Amino acid sequence: MRTLFLSAAAAALLHITPTVILVKRPDAVQQLLPGADQFFARELHLSNVDAHRLHQLLDWSPEDGVLTFYTGRADAKDVGTLLFVRVDTPHGPVEVAVSFTPQHLVRGVIVTKATVETRPWVVEALRAGLLDHYRGLKPTDVPGGADAIKNQVGELADYIAQEVDKGVRRALVAMSDFAA
Amino acid sequence: MLYDLRQADPRLKWLVTCLLATFGLAYLFGGWMVGLFAGFTPHAVAVTYASPEMHMAMPPGKTVVVEHPMTLQEFGTADHHTVDRNLLVQDTHVHVPMYGVIAAALGLVVLGLDLSAAWGYALITLLFAAPWLDFAGMWLTRLVSPHFAVLTFVGGWAMGAAYTVVTAIALWQMWRPYRGAMP
Repeated sequence: MRTLFLSAAAAALLHITPTVILVKRPDAVQQLLPGADQFFARELHLSNVDAHRLHQLLDWSPEDGVLTFYTGRADAKDVGTLLFVRVDTPHGPVEVAVSFTPQHLVRGVIVTKATVETRPWVVEALRAGLLDHYRGLKPTDVPGGADAIKNQVGELADYIAQEVDKGVRRALVAMSDFAA
Repeated sequence: MLYDLRQADPRLKWLVTCLLATFGLAYLFGGWMVGLFAGFTPHAVAVTYASPEMHMAMPPGKTVVVEHPMTLQEFGTADHHTVDRNLLVQDTHVHVPMYGVIAAALGLVVLGLDLSAAWGYALITLLFAAPWLDFAGMWLTRLVSPHFAVLTFVGGWAMGAAYTVVTAIALWQMWRPYRGAMP
């Protein structure tokens, strides 16, 4: 009986709640690269050295060792660059889309994915204006969205805001170190 | 027939009815979940479980840049829920025992039905083979070829069909009105 109970508890603990799409990627692209009608994926297959550097600096290993920048153009004119960054939390992954202007300033951030469990925390953080605090950041800046809304939200929304900060920071460093 | 559900105590019939209704509810939500996270076509199942095709086994000595154009619609392919090997191990570990218990419970119901031995064997085999096919399809899609997604497709529908057949026959045999019954 005890084994049965422990197995059930272990299964419950290991069962990460399913991913929830908050904003579909094509919709996020249209919002973050406004007016773009041509898109390009620039995939960087990271060397061991670069991959290790990112891991040391940001505790981040891009999926399959590939860092992808998406660029948008309108009439052959650069509209901006966009990255989708996944942050793995003990409550499942959170994905943020971070876009940059051609001058490499943050144009906007959208949380595109969360999980059934983290979704209400994300929604609370977004209602407190979390994403407003990223606009205009330079690649060398440190995002402080979580600190800015700390007094307006509960503990769990504050926690998830820190994870979003982490995603934005990864995008900033990727932009400063790897963007052409 | 080991026992006869038609002649069983009404309380046993009620128990079986409640069990079947509960399984039915679970299957309905199971179907909803499949629709949300995998899909009802072999192609959608293959996208969910197959290994990514573009994969560099070893990191290059120097960072390599590859650029290619893409359409807005192609951004949407990443929105499809996918299951990697670790999650599939976990899913198999959690689901297969429960599928076994459900198949066993439905198999016990089959034993109480007025069916020929051949039909009994066939239904019991179908009850267990359906989840085997379901998970074999997932693993073969992951490890061998996306074409095996058709096994999961067949297995999933077979599970629903087996449940429907057992439930329909059981409810009919247990509760059908017969001449001379007390009001």
